[in-house]
Amino acid sequence: MPSTEFPPRRARTGRSRGLRALGAGAAAVVLASGLAACGSDDGGVPVLNWYINPDSGGQAEIASRCTDAAEGRYTISTSVLPREASAQREQLVRRLAANDASIDIMSLDPPFIPEFAQAGFLAPVPDDVAQRVTEDVVDSAIAGSTWDDELVTVPFWANTQLLWYRTSVAEAAGLDMSQPVTWDQIVQAAQDQDVLIGVQGIRAEALTVWFNALIESAGGSIIAENSTDPEEIQLGLTSEAGVRAAEVMRDISNSGQVGPALSTANEDSTATGFESDQGGFMVNYPFVYPRGLAAVEAGTLDQATVDDYAATVYPRVDADTEAAPPYGGINLGVGAFSEHPELAYEATECITSTENQAYYFTSNGNPASDSTVYEDPEVLEAFPQAPVILESLELAAPRPQTPYYSEVSGGLQREYHPTASIDPEQTPQDATELIEAVLRKEQLL
Amino acid sequence: MSTTTLPPAGKRTEPVSAPDRHTSDRAKSERKLGWLLAGPALAVMLLVTAYPIAQAFYDSLFDYRLTDPENRSFTGLSNYLVILTDSLWWTAVGVTALITVVTVAVELVLGFALALVMNKALQAIRPVLRAAILIPYAVITVVSAFAWQFAFDINTGFVNSWFAWLPGVDTTTDWFGDFGTSLFVICLAEIWKTTPFISLLLLAGLAQVPEVLQEAAKVDGATWWQRMRRVTLPNMKAAIMVALLFRTLDAFRVFDSIFIMTAGANGTESVSFLAYRQTISRLEIGLGSAVSVLLFLFVVLIAFLFIKGFKVDLAQARGER
Amino acid sequence: MSTKEKTGWIIGGVLIALYCLAPIAWIISLSFKAPADLANAQFLPTTPSTENYATIFTGTGSDLFLPALRNSFGICLIATFISCVLSMFAAYAIARLDFPGKKFILGTALAVAIFPVISIVTPLFNLWRNIGLYDTWPGLIIPYLSLTLPLSIWTMSAFFREIPWEMEQAAQVDGATTWQAFRKVIVPLAAPGVFTTAIIAFFIAWNDFVYGISLTSTSASRPVPAALGLFSGASQFEDPTGAIAAAAVIVTIPVVVLVLIFQRRIVAGLTNGAVKG
Repeated sequence: MPSTEFPPRRARTGRSRGLRALGAGAAAVVLASGLAACGSDDGGVPVLNWYINPDSGGQAEIASRCTDAAEGRYTISTSVLPREASAQREQLVRRLAANDASIDIMSLDPPFIPEFAQAGFLAPVPDDVAQRVTEDVVDSAIAGSTWDDELVTVPFWANTQLLWYRTSVAEAAGLDMSQPVTWDQIVQAAQDQDVLIGVQGIRAEALTVWFNALIESAGGSIIAENSTDPEEIQLGLTSEAGVRAAEVMRDISNSGQVGPALSTANEDSTATGFESDQGGFMVNYPFVYPRGLAAVEAGTLDQATVDDYAATVYPRVDADTEAAPPYGGINLGVGAFSEHPELAYEATECITSTENQAYYFTSNGNPASDSTVYEDPEVLEAFPQAPVILESLELAAPRPQTPYYSEVSGGLQREYHPTASIDPEQTPQDATELIEAVLRKEQLL
Repeated sequence: MSTTTLPPAGKRTEPVSAPDRHTSDRAKSERKLGWLLAGPALAVMLLVTAYPIAQAFYDSLFDYRLTDPENRSFTGLSNYLVILTDSLWWTAVGVTALITVVTVAVELVLGFALALVMNKALQAIRPVLRAAILIPYAVITVVSAFAWQFAFDINTGFVNSWFAWLPGVDTTTDWFGDFGTSLFVICLAEIWKTTPFISLLLLAGLAQVPEVLQEAAKVDGATWWQRMRRVTLPNMKAAIMVALLFRTLDAFRVFDSIFIMTAGANGTESVSFLAYRQTISRLEIGLGSAVSVLLFLFVVLIAFLFIKGFKVDLAQARGER
Repeated sequence: MSTKEKTGWIIGGVLIALYCLAPIAWIISLSFKAPADLANAQFLPTTPSTENYATIFTGTGSDLFLPALRNSFGICLIATFISCVLSMFAAYAIARLDFPGKKFILGTALAVAIFPVISIVTPLFNLWRNIGLYDTWPGLIIPYLSLTLPLSIWTMSAFFREIPWEMEQAAQVDGATTWQAFRKVIVPLAAPGVFTTAIIAFFIAWNDFVYGISLTSTSASRPVPAALGLFSGASQFEDPTGAIAAAAVIVTIPVVVLVLIFQRRIVAGLTNGAVKG
C-alpha cells in the first residue's frame, strides 16, 4: 500500500458563527420542550376520545354537534386514524392490547369487528342501547355490527358499491339497465362499445371486497364453515361458487376493457377512468358522484358527463342468482378499557342519530345505515341514487366474519393478485392451502 | 490525519505500554475519566439496541399473538423452522439481495463519477454542485419515495407522457403493475436518494490520494485510465470499501420505499417489510420476532464478511495507523 | 483552462444539479396542482393552485399535519440535542484520553449504526406500552438516539481529533485560567464540529419512518413522515396525492435551508465521520 504521508489538509470550517447557531438551536430545544409540556386538558367534564377514520371533516363536525347536545355531560374530541382500514386496525389493536383507557369510541371497519370483539376489546352494548340503535337499520349493517349473535358495535354508516354506468353507453349497447344485469353482459357491452369497466384489482382490501361480492353472488362464501378456532375454519374457495367467482374475475380482467393498470387500480383510479372519455361501467362506492360534481366545479369535467352518470344494483354472476353487493362503512365500538362506557354509548347514540346520519350522507357522501334517512328530501336531492343505495344495502353481503380476517383477506390477496393471472382450477386450491397454513401459523404472509 | 504543522494530539494518545508506576496511576485515572465521559453514550446505545434484540430473540421462541396473550406458549425454534422452510422468506431475501446489489453497484459507479467531477470542478460551480448533491441526501426517504411514485404513477405521473419515445414505454405503462418495473422504480428512488452519500465518501477518498504520485505517473506518460487504475483506485481502496460496507448494510434494510410504493405487491417484499408484516399487521409477535432476529443475523453476517473477507480495515480507513 | 473545457464543466454541473433537483421540483410542481388537475399527465400544473396547502394548513388536513409538524420539530431537536451532549463527552474521551474501552465504544457505535431498525421496533413497542412510553415524545426520542448517537460519536470524535488541545495549555501558560483557556481556546475550536454533528444528527432523526409509524398512534407524538400516509382525499376512497405533495414540500424546506446554509460543513462532517472517524 503506498504511503499517505502528505494527505491534503481539509479546510477548517468557520468558528464563531457555528457557536452562535448552536446557542440558537439549544434555545429552540428548550422552547419546544416547554411547548410540549402544556396542552393537557383541565379536568371536570369527561372528555370522550373518538378515534375516527379520515374523512372530509364530517365526524369532527358531528363530534362538536354532540358535544353541544350533551350540555356539559361530556365533550367529544377526535383523533385521526390512518387511511387504510388495515392500518386503522393495526393502530387500534396495538393500543387496546396495551389496555389503553384513552380509547372511548372507535370508528371500526366492519370486517375487523369480530377480531376486536373476540379479543375483548369492546365494551358490551347495553340492551336498551342495542334496541334503540338497531331500529330501522338496514340488515347488512346490523349483521356487520354483530359477532357471535350479539350486537357488539353501534351501526353508523353503511357503504355499498353500485354499478355505475354511462346512460349513453348502456343505450348504445342496448342494455336494459332497469333489469338486473350480469357481469357477462357488461363485459359484452363494454367490448361492443369499447369502453372501460372499472374494477379494483389492486392488491389491497378492495380486491377482497370484489371477490367476496362475486363468490357470494355465485352462492358461496369465502368461509364456508366458521369457527373461533383458527385451525377449524373451513374455506369455501374451492367450492363450485368459488371456482365460478375466480372464473368471472379472470374473465373480466382479461376482457381488454379494464384499462392498462388493473393490478394497481383502486377506488380512486377507477373513478378517474370512469370520468374519462372511455368511461362506460364501473363498480364503486357512491363517492364517485360528488367527486364528479367537484371536478365539474373545478372545470376539468363537463357537466354533460356527470349528467350521463347513472347507478343501479351491483352486477350478478349468473342471471338467476341474486347480486351480493359489497357492504362496508363504519360502525362504532366503545373501548373495553374506557373510563366512561355509559357516556360513550350515550355519545354513540347521538352520533348515529337520524339527523347526523343524514348530515354525514349529504356532506361527506357516506350513506346512512338508518333506512329512514333515505326518505329525507335533502338526501334525495344530494344523492339522486339514494334509493338504489338502500336497495343495494338490503342485498349486501358482509365479508367473512372472523377474528382472523386479516390473515384470510391477506392470503386471498396474495394468491388472487394479479387478477388477470388467476387460474380457476389452481388458484382457489393454492389460496386455501396458503390461508390454512397461515392460520396454523405454519407460513408467513 | 491532519498535517504535521502541529504536533499530534499530545502524548496522551500514545498507547501506554511500560508498567511504569507513574504512568499507570495516571492511566488509571484517565481510564476512569474516559469511562465516565463515554459511559452514558455507550449505555444509551446498548439500552436501545441490545436489550430489544435480546427481547426479540426471547419472543421468537414463543407462539404469541398480540390479541391472544393468554395462549402464549413456548415453541422453541419452530418459528425459525417455519420461516426457513417458507418460500416467501427466500423470495424476500432474494429481492432484498437484488435491490442491494443493483443499487450499490450503480451508486458506486455513479457516485465515483460525481466525486471525480466534484474533485476537479471549477471553483465557481463547486458550491452549487455540493448543495445540489446534498439535497437528495437530506430529503426524507418517504418524501423521495412519494415523489418517484407519483412521477411514475399512471394517473398522476408525467413519466409515461415524457418518455413515451422509449421502447416499451407508452401512456398506458403501469410501472407498479409487475415485479420488474416496480423494482426498477424502487431502485431508482433508492439510487437517487443515496448516491450523494457514497459520492461524498469517495470524494474524501480521492482527496487522500497523494498528488505527488499522480504527478509522477503523469510525468512517466501514464494515460488517464492507467493513472486511475494504478494510482487512484489502489489509494482509495479503503474509502471504497467503507462506502460499500455502509451502503450495503443500509440497502439490505430497505423498507420505506417499498412500504410507500408497492406495499409489497408483485413480490416486491423485502426482508424488513416481511418482519413488519408479521409483527404489525398479523400481530404474530413470535413469528415476527423470529424474522427480525434472522434479519439481524443477516446484517451481522454481511458486516462480518466485509470486515474479515474483504479486509475492510476501518481503523486504516480512518487514518488511525 | 480553455473556454471549451469550461463550458464542458458547466454543462456537466448543470446536468448533475438537474438530476439531483428534478424529483424535488416535481413534488413542488405536484403540490400546486388542484385535485382535479392531478391527472393532467404533465410536469407542471395547468393552472397553479394553493388548494393543497390550504388543505394541510387550514383545511381538513390541518388537524393531522400541524401537530405532526410540531412533533417532528420538537422530537428531532430534543433527540439531536441529547445525542450531541452525550457524544460530546464520549468524543472528548475518545479523542483526548487513553483508555482501553475506546475501540469497544467505537465498535459498539458502528454496530448500532448498522442495526436493522425493524428488528427492535416490536420489542420496543411492547416495552413502551408496559411502561407508558407508547405514543409519547420520550417514546420516540429514546429510539431516535439509537439512530443519531453512533453517527454523532464518530463524526464528533473525528472533529475533536483535529483540535490542537495543547493550545489550551499554552493559553494557561500565558496566564489564562483553566476556564478561560477552555472557553476562549477550546470552545471556538470544538463548536464547528459539534454544530455540524448536530445538523447531520437532525437529518437522520428527521428522516425516520419506521419508529414513527410503529411507536405512535395519535397527534400526541406522530411525526410528519408517519402522518404523510394518513391524509384523506375529499372522501375516504379518494387519493390524497395533493395533500401529501404539499406536506412533503413543507417538510423538505427545513432540510433544504440547512443544506444551503451549511453545505460545506455538512460535507466535511459526513466525510470526516465515515472515512476518518
